[in-house]
Amino acid sequence: MTSAERCAASGPGRTGIGLRAPHVAEIMASRPALPFLEVHPENYMFGGPALAVLESVRREYPISLHGVGLSLGTAGDLDRRHLTNFRALIERVHPCLVSEHLSWSIAGGSYLNHLLPLPYTEETLGLFAGHVEEAQEALGRQLLIENPSGYMRFHHSPIPEPEFLAELVRRTGCGLVCDVNNIFVTASNLGLDAVAYLDALPAAAVGEIHLAGHARNDADGLSILIDDHGSPVADPVWRLYAHALRRLGPVPALIEWDTNLPELPVLLGEARLADRLSAATCGDDARVRAA
Amino acid sequence: MSALRDLQAAMREAILGGDERAVAREIAGDGLEPSARLGIYRHHVFTTLTAALAGTYPVICRLVDARFFAYAAHCYIREHPPVSPCLVEYGATLAQFLAGFPPCRDHAYLPDVARLEWAINVARHAEVIAPIDRRRLATVPVEDMPRLSFRLDPSLLLLASAWPVDAIWRANQGDAGVEPAVDLGAGDVQLAVRRVGDDVIIRALDPASYAFREALRDGQTLEQAAAVALAIDARFDLTRAIHELLDTDLLTDFALSDTPALVT
Repeated sequence: MTSAERCAASGPGRTGIGLRAPHVAEIMASRPALPFLEVHPENYMFGGPALAVLESVRREYPISLHGVGLSLGTAGDLDRRHLTNFRALIERVHPCLVSEHLSWSIAGGSYLNHLLPLPYTEETLGLFAGHVEEAQEALGRQLLIENPSGYMRFHHSPIPEPEFLAELVRRTGCGLVCDVNNIFVTASNLGLDAVAYLDALPAAAVGEIHLAGHARNDADGLSILIDDHGSPVADPVWRLYAHALRRLGPVPALIEWDTNLPELPVLLGEARLADRLSAATCGDDARVRAA
Repeated sequence: MSALRDLQAAMREAILGGDERAVAREIAGDGLEPSARLGIYRHHVFTTLTAALAGTYPVICRLVDARFFAYAAHCYIREHPPVSPCLVEYGATLAQFLAGFPPCRDHAYLPDVARLEWAINVARHAEVIAPIDRRRLATVPVEDMPRLSFRLDPSLLLLASAWPVDAIWRANQGDAGVEPAVDLGAGDVQLAVRRVGDDVIIRALDPASYAFREALRDGQTLEQAAAVALAIDARFDLTRAIHELLDTDLLTDFALSDTPALVT
């Protein structure tokens, strides 16, 4: 059983939610039926009370660690201290999934707190694949790499993003997170075909699907979608999710919601909706397949 | 030379420093100025880092108001961007920054309020360490006790200020608009900041008790720490002070220094 299948097989449904601090007490008191909970490892690397809370949650739910700080695309060395802390956290919570992003955040020693875009070139591919291998070795785990939301493209970026990801999988043995909302946002912002993008991903490598809401901003008369994780999943993203399910099969999914955090039942409602779509599209045999 | 390294350096400069010339020519506009596309990324970087700082420094944010805080944070982020992806570690130097920030010159107490809020942040996230094993401590012979040194709970932070920063901090909790008046001339304070359960407690100490904790924290022996406290206040009660440290689980470990006791 792969780590992704463990996430889906360990509990009811296939769709987990992001665990955010304001919901922790309610989740622990009401114990909603969820296959897993997702957290950002960067918030739990200090051994303080936050980690103690996470460990108590871990006794009830599998945990997915979704990193935002490794900066695998940085043209320079990986942050060894961060890798060491990440490894220690993995050994404490035994996550069902460990994921990161196709992006960079660190340059000149500064952490820019954003998933910044990469030009998709041979140089980037060689560097990124090397960093994924180094991180998988240091963490002792397979990483799933997520497609980012794009707001710009570089003139010199000859490799299409899904092909870049496919080649990354081939070189490193990593898996993929298919963020359906990010595909929708990127396709809209950069004039790509979202369905063609999805169809170009290596289906067997996708271990998790991410779903989230986005905002629509006006930038000098041009409509730009912002991946702000601040609203329900949009209807066209649900439609793209249904297409993803037909292509990828019943992989675990995650509802991400970080800004304008709603009451817990709203989040659980989104997860149930994703489960219903998954069951309607793939049938209810996910756990049988995973076993 | 790595083209990617150059590109990332140029993008860092465009986002933090605002000089977009080097990176703008690499970006396809696709119906929008490259500058506007860069602005989407810059906006996210500054708003999320400002929110992180406001989360760590809520009282500073309230004292200077949110708009001025956003301006000061913008300047701080440009000069002192994070060096780690763990944002609870970000903002350690905001107090020094505010001390040298010309618009804050007339509010000399602000840097010390910032130091207090940073201490609260460190206390909140400090490692959870079990208190000292009292049975093991009880095996130390009485004559060796002066040579004891201790490790203190890492969530204890000591902070001295010429301003009544604890009163300022308390006056800025709760609902806006009901701030009690604070006498800025109330004199200096010596504070112990510490996590207790889920809360962080700020406690004012007398100068001798403060110096005693400071000496122990810095690794001095019980005898040396007692001497420091007694030099400040001849009425310092060592037995009571030790019991208080034990009863509040402030001590987490001990060692016996090799230096023989000075006083017999």
